[in-house]
Parts: sequence; structure tokens; C-alpha cells
Amino acid sequence: MTFTRFFLRRMMMVIPLLVGIVFGTFMLIRVGGLDPVGLLAGPTATAEEFDIIRAELGLDQPLWAQFGIYIGNVLQGDLGESWLSTRPVLDDMLDRVPVTLELLLWGVGIGAIIGIPIGLKAAFKPDGTFDHVSRFFSLFGFSIPTYWLGLMMLFVFFYLLRWAPPGIGRIGLMVSQPPEVTGTYLMDSLIAGDWTAFRSALSHLILPVTCIAVIAAAPIIKHTRAIAIEVISSDAVRYAKASGLPTLTVRRMVLRNAATPVLTFVGTELTGLVGTTSLIEYVFAWGGLGQYGLNAIINGDFTAVQGYVLFLALFSIFVFLIIDFVVFLIEPRAELQ
Amino acid sequence: MNLLQVRDLETHFISRDIDNRVRIAHALNGITFDVEEGEILGIVGETGAGKSLTAQSVVGLLRPPARIVGGQVRFEGRDLLTMSEDDLNAIRGNDIAMVVQNPRTSLDPLSRIGDQLIRIRRAHSESSEAEARSRAVEMMTAVGIPDPELRLSAWPHELSGGMAQRVLIAMALMNEPKLLIADEPTTGLDVTVQAQILELLRDLVTRMNMGAIIITHDLGVVANFCDRMAVMFAGGIVETGTVGDVFENPAHPYTSNLVDATPERLKIGRKAVFGGAPPDLYNLPDGCHHRDRCRFAREECSTPPPLREVGLKHVARCHFAGELPETAQ
Repeated sequence: MTFTRFFLRRMMMVIPLLVGIVFGTFMLIRVGGLDPVGLLAGPTATAEEFDIIRAELGLDQPLWAQFGIYIGNVLQGDLGESWLSTRPVLDDMLDRVPVTLELLLWGVGIGAIIGIPIGLKAAFKPDGTFDHVSRFFSLFGFSIPTYWLGLMMLFVFFYLLRWAPPGIGRIGLMVSQPPEVTGTYLMDSLIAGDWTAFRSALSHLILPVTCIAVIAAAPIIKHTRAIAIEVISSDAVRYAKASGLPTLTVRRMVLRNAATPVLTFVGTELTGLVGTTSLIEYVFAWGGLGQYGLNAIINGDFTAVQGYVLFLALFSIFVFLIIDFVVFLIEPRAELQ
Repeated sequence: MNLLQVRDLETHFISRDIDNRVRIAHALNGITFDVEEGEILGIVGETGAGKSLTAQSVVGLLRPPARIVGGQVRFEGRDLLTMSEDDLNAIRGNDIAMVVQNPRTSLDPLSRIGDQLIRIRRAHSESSEAEARSRAVEMMTAVGIPDPELRLSAWPHELSGGMAQRVLIAMALMNEPKLLIADEPTTGLDVTVQAQILELLRDLVTRMNMGAIIITHDLGVVANFCDRMAVMFAGGIVETGTVGDVFENPAHPYTSNLVDATPERLKIGRKAVFGGAPPDLYNLPDGCHHRDRCRFAREECSTPPPLREVGLKHVARCHFAGELPETAQ
């Protein structure tokens, strides 16, 4: 099967998934017990005022009609208006997506770069000293509460040691912001060649990214180790050893055979850690999409919550599509599945 | 000189139980056998008797908790058990080649057949890519794979079980081995393919004057394709001899039971009184390990049985080898 055909077939499978997700997010809010009318009208409103607001929001119509309106709007890119920010939800989110992705991608990326080699090394010598140390580390990452880790890092590295900037925002207050290209200060300052801004953006990134990397690395270590041990004890690797192939060749074979499952796992981590990132964003006042979503939930800003959930779903689909394509390219058996 | 000499090989599984007490499973208890050039030795026995473990011990591929605790394995006079891993790697896949039980899962799923054949050749000799490739084609032809040049670019998952086993045999032949160890080479294959593969193996062994070990639980395979046989029971070899001698005059009660239990014998009215669980390897009985399953067990059997010679190069580990009454009709 050619890549184009594979690509088209996968895209076709995405369409029903998308409809389901839009329906899901829509229903979630309706049955979730959020009453935006009450929030908007305030405690002193009369019954007539309630009815007017309800009609304005289209909430007086039957559920199926509401869904029809909603899906029509979503298709046109209209996710409604957030009453918290009084701006279109889509604009709000587009501003914040790069900010959150910056945190998430650096965090999970570094977590993978550290976690995968540790897991592999542990797998090549199970029950050795290194294995035990790495197991302790991954247990630490598993059991530690995200927000607590963030707060402790601020306490130690900002309050006690003064090595890091305070956890407010993404760049120093006295630093002028670079002209916007990608939406992330780190990349934009690099593009503008503004080293002061770059240093400030980088120093603000280090603590939150470290938090996410620690949280991400723990399961990556554990899974990489398990996957590699399974590959090492597979018939194929045992046969390769029986064939007297050099140790290096055998190791390379283990790496290649472990690549697909490890990659898939890192992808699931990437989608799974979006939630964790929200908490980190809150602690560091990062102002990204996660914080936006959390605020929307706390304040009952239901259009924004819908938009946020829709984005999370789209992001997961996108990540898994990319993984599928990469796996297709490196795995000769993929066409059978 | 013998190609392979195995003397008193002992392999144990050493582990700890839930109370942290050391537990030892006596998986191999003093295995002794020889393989000569141009000869096929068949090793038979029931599941758990230690057949595959013997092969893995010989080539040094044991995984913990299995450990060799005694004995010698000499290949062309060199002791394999004390050899460094690098020296062993130079012999494995080169002078000693393995054909394993699960051909389809034993090939590297991410490399084409040709690349794997070339890889094993170049791991053991200074040949160029092109040389190795032409040798691969030659060996694929030798094992009866049609369109060998085309098949070089096939992926392992595209092969049938029989085809994959032929590829494994071709892999084994890439470096002109002196000894071929085939561990249940036909277990996963259907009957017609089994016969083809075994014919092929026997033909190659005689043509190239290799020594070979075929490990199987199928007496028919031994009868049709081997020169000598060793019968294993509970981690020990209870009888060895030429295939003709052992089948005609089984000297050990276990062997005679095995032979009587073949479908051909059962058909002509022999009664097979047979069965019982194999002895507990963690807790082997004193004396003869076969005692609890033996119809002829007497008092003497509580002492370790000697190796008794019952014919030319035909020995059995039994107090009464060669003196047993003819099997009950």
C-alpha cells in the first residue's frame, strides 16, 4: 500500500471521530449542570431577565436544534464568545496554543530524551544497580503531585537560592517582548536576535519544563524498560545471539524493534500530559491554554470549556495521526494491520 | 576425534522462594554424549526432560536463573564452557549453527531476508557484500527456495512457516558449520512440510559431512532421519545407541515404553502401560529417577543405577539393563 492511500484512509477514519467528539463536548456541558444563565444574570435578576438571556444564548431551543446551531458554527470556525474575556473563543485559544505547546513539547521532549536511554540501559542489565536507581527515580516521578513539585521548585530555586525568576509569566517584567512570529517568546526572540529577551524567556521556561520533564520521564522510563526487556527476550533476539552476531549489532536490532512501541507510548504521554500542563501553567502563571481551560471550568464559561475540550481532542487525533504515519514509514508490517 | 564431546553436564535452575530460601531445580543431571562428523544424533524425550536446555547449555545461551554447575562441553577439543563471550560468538553461527523451533518469530522482523543472510555471513568472515549476497543465493537454492534472488528482498512476515524454516536452514549454512543443532525444527510445520525439511537436513548433513543434533519428541523423526539416538528422562540420558539397536532392543524400561507407545506398535496389539507425572526436579528421588514410573522397580532401584553396556556403543542407565523380561503382550 502506498503512503498516499494509507494517508487518505486514515484521514477518512478521522471524520466520524470528529463528529463524535463535537457531539461529546456539546453534551458534556449540557448534562454537566453548568447554568451559564444564572451566572450571567447575577443574583438580583428577575424571571423575565432570565428568559431574555436564555433566548439570547439560544438555550430556549430544543437540544437537537442547539446541537445543529453549534456544529454549524464550529464548521465555520465560530466557537462562540467567552463571556469571561468577551472575545471569540477561537481567538483566545489561537493566542494561547503556541504558549502551551512550547511548555508541553519541551517538557515531554526532554522527558523522552532522558527517559528512553535510562529505560534502555536499565533493560540491558535488569536488576543491576542502575536498574534499581532508575526504578527509584521513576517511582518518585510517578508519585509526586505535579503542583507540589512546581511549588517546591519555586520555593527552592526562586525563594531560597534566587537562581530562577519568580513564577509569574513567561518573560521578565522589565524585558521588552520580541515581535510576534510564532507566539512563543523563546522562538520569537531568537528570530529577532534579541538576546536579552531570549535569556529571560529561557530562564522562565526552565522550571516549568523541568517539572513536566520529570513527570513525563517516569512512565517513559518504566515503559521503555519493559518494552526493551520484552524485545531482548524475543525469539528474534535470542536467535541473533545464537547466530553469534556482535553485541553491537544485537543492540541495534533491539533498538529498532523497540522503536515503534516506545514512540507510540511517548505519543500517548504527549496527549496525556496536557492536563498536567494546566496545573503547571497555573503554578507558574504561564497564561497558556491549560490555564485558560481551568479558568473557564472554574468560572462556568461554557463556550470556552467546549472550545478547550475540542482542542484537546483535536490535538490527540493529530498526535496519533503523526505517530501512525511515522510507524508506517519505519515498520514493514504496518500495512498488515 | 569427536566433533562434540559433552561430559557430565549439569545445569540447575537456582532461584529463591517466597521465604527467600534457595531452591534448586536439577534440570540436567550429568549429561554425557558425543557427536561425530557426518552423524546425526537424535535426542528424544518428553516435555521438560531437558532436551532444549541441553542445546542451550552447549552453545552458552542460558538465561538466568538457569546456570551450568558442572561438566564439560568440548567442541573440536576446546572447552566451550570456560570460553569468553567473544570467543563463543566467533563459534556460534559459524562453526556451530542453530536451527530453532519458531522460524517465523526468530527472524528479525525489521530486516529483509537477504540482509539477514548477508549479516550472518559478514559477522563471521571477511567477505564483501557482493560475495555474501551470491553465497546467500546459493544457500537459498540449496534449501529449495524458488526464485532465491527475488526472495532475498522478502520480509520475514511474508514467508510461510515452511519457507521461514528453509530460510533459517539457509542462515545456518551460510558459514559452512561443522555442527548443526536443530531444536524441534519441524514442530510448528504441517506433516508434509516436516518430511521435506527433515529430508533436506539429512541430505545436507551427509553432503557437507557435518555433525548434527536433532532434538525432537517425535520417535518417528528419530527412526527415519537419525543415525544414533539418546533418550532423555528427567534431565538425564537413560539410553544411547544406534537407532536400529535402541528400537530393536530397548534396554531401559522408559525407552521400551516409549517404543511400545508408537502408533505402529499399538496397532499390532502391543499394550502400552505408561504414564505418570515426571519426577519433581526440585526434589528428585534417590536412586533411579525413573523408579516411580517403572513397572520393574525393585529394591535395588533405590541406589543410583550404573551405566550398563548392552551392546556395541549401546548403553543404558538401569540396574537391569538388558535383563528385562520381554514386554507384556
